[in-house]
Amino acid sequence: MPDLSRPARALLLSGPISTMAKRRLSDLKKAQMQAGYVFVLPSILLYATFVLAPVIITIILSFTYYDISFGADWVGFENYIRFLTDSRSLEIFWNTLRFAFLAVTFNVGVGLVLALALNRAMPQFLLYFFRLAFFLPVIISAAFVAVVWSYFYSFDFGVINYYLGQVGLPQVPWLTSSKVAMTSIVIMDVWKNTGFFMIILIAALQGVPRPIMDAASMDGASPWRRFSRITLPYISPVLFFCIVFASIGALQVFESIMILTGGGPGDSTRSLSIYLVDEAFGSFELGYAAAVSVIMMLLVLIITIIQLVGSRRWVRE
Amino acid sequence: MRTKAMQTRQAKKWVDRAIIAVLALMGISMLMPFLWLFSMSFRPAAEAYRMPPSFLPPTFDFANYETVLSSSIPFLKIYWNSLYIAVLVTIGQLVTCTLAAFAYARLRFPGRDSLFFVMLIGLMFPVQVTILPIYLGFAKVGLLNNPLGLVLLGLTSSFGVFMLRQFLRSQPKELEEAALMDGAGYFKIFWRISLPQLKPALAALAIITFTGAWNAYFQPRALIESQAAMTLPIAMDLLRGYLGQGNLSLVMAAMSMAILPVVLLFLVAQKMVIEGVTFSGIRA
Repeated sequence: MPDLSRPARALLLSGPISTMAKRRLSDLKKAQMQAGYVFVLPSILLYATFVLAPVIITIILSFTYYDISFGADWVGFENYIRFLTDSRSLEIFWNTLRFAFLAVTFNVGVGLVLALALNRAMPQFLLYFFRLAFFLPVIISAAFVAVVWSYFYSFDFGVINYYLGQVGLPQVPWLTSSKVAMTSIVIMDVWKNTGFFMIILIAALQGVPRPIMDAASMDGASPWRRFSRITLPYISPVLFFCIVFASIGALQVFESIMILTGGGPGDSTRSLSIYLVDEAFGSFELGYAAAVSVIMMLLVLIITIIQLVGSRRWVRE
Repeated sequence: MRTKAMQTRQAKKWVDRAIIAVLALMGISMLMPFLWLFSMSFRPAAEAYRMPPSFLPPTFDFANYETVLSSSIPFLKIYWNSLYIAVLVTIGQLVTCTLAAFAYARLRFPGRDSLFFVMLIGLMFPVQVTILPIYLGFAKVGLLNNPLGLVLLGLTSSFGVFMLRQFLRSQPKELEEAALMDGAGYFKIFWRISLPQLKPALAALAIITFTGAWNAYFQPRALIESQAAMTLPIAMDLLRGYLGQGNLSLVMAAMSMAILPVVLLFLVAQKMVIEGVTFSGIRA
């Protein structure tokens, strides 16, 4: 059999084909080609219709003034210029970046602290409990939990303000003050997502070789030194991935803000996603909304490029 | 010397215990919102806002649940929509992504790598950048306010294709080659050999896809307005506005029912869910 399997391998992989009869070979090749196209067809068709074509149309739309009943007028870069010169859209842009910065810092930071704390021997039931407690929020939609949090944050009837009052602290206008609202949203976001980064970082920590750590502590290296000189370099590629990943998610933040504040008070918590939906389905400024979504896509693209360049530099051989 | 070593070991043990105790407290507080919503759903509606709040169910009286089901909001229909979309989307992705992954991982045909590359780019597009044309297109063909539209949008995914292809490439292909030599067709090879090999990856993809579809908010919110076509995540907001002023307990009863499938899935298959979700990196 071994000599027979060679031509087959040559077909499945690449490589020189010498032993097989030409006719049978071309038949197989043809059958393989046909099978290939038939197999990829459903996904390619769906993808082209519902992802690729819409993206291209959105890009075109972003250069037009589009009216549902009258059609499109080409306006060049006007929508982009409007975005970049309008003080409202710029405020929303900075809001989104500020949210992303805070959410990424605390999601990954808290996740790392939890991972370090959890990365030790403990009974199985405790491990199950911790995974349950920290990961359950990750898999429940923000649309659901944000409703719960809106009652927690409520000023008069809120659970948090009730307990603050019990210990004699002043009530906090969690969602109704433009100074506090963004912080409240970040707190919920960290509660919801930090478990995700915790799990990924635990896996990374378990890849730090034990012998090196043991040797370092034998030599009297302090915990902080062991962390900064051994652990951190080892997990840095994963940490980097976490930051990139958290940024992409945070820039698209939508439902938690939508349900907690709807973007308010004023525009103080409005994100690009919400702005886009407002412009498109509230004011029917479809061309402008398309430009906003293209700008969001560019932000994701920039982060992806940073990731590609960065991981080449950061990931050790 | 010896006693000092023992002392440090003893100290380390106490530090370990202290850390675990702190973690346990944090873990319990992480669960507070869930304990609260579950307990509140059993509180008599008239006492919904009475303080202190409940974190343990005061009774197990399902009156609030019955009220939600018999309210003027078609809650069962909404629940059915969510289930219908999530199940069909999951089945669809399992089929389309597996077929494509097999072709990209195992077959050779002209244009294969470019097609795969084009598919991969899809990982980069945020859902916001496709929504306007989809909205306009759906408006033309009558798919707005129609759960079927959301099903169509979810039938395939770049991520599913990518994940299954990577998994299949890590599997040995000797069996497939042997089957080919025995004259088996490509579909038979796919069905009899590759599909069974893919089982663990398919389970992970099914979990991720189901939870993702169950939790989806952005697209349903943009494409659905009528109550009869809503899914649970967008209906929650409606319920809060509709019942919420007077009746927190009712909203929480609806919420308990809405999160039930995902919570159950997580309790039963915790490890698989965590592995699947962290691998894919979906954020619900």
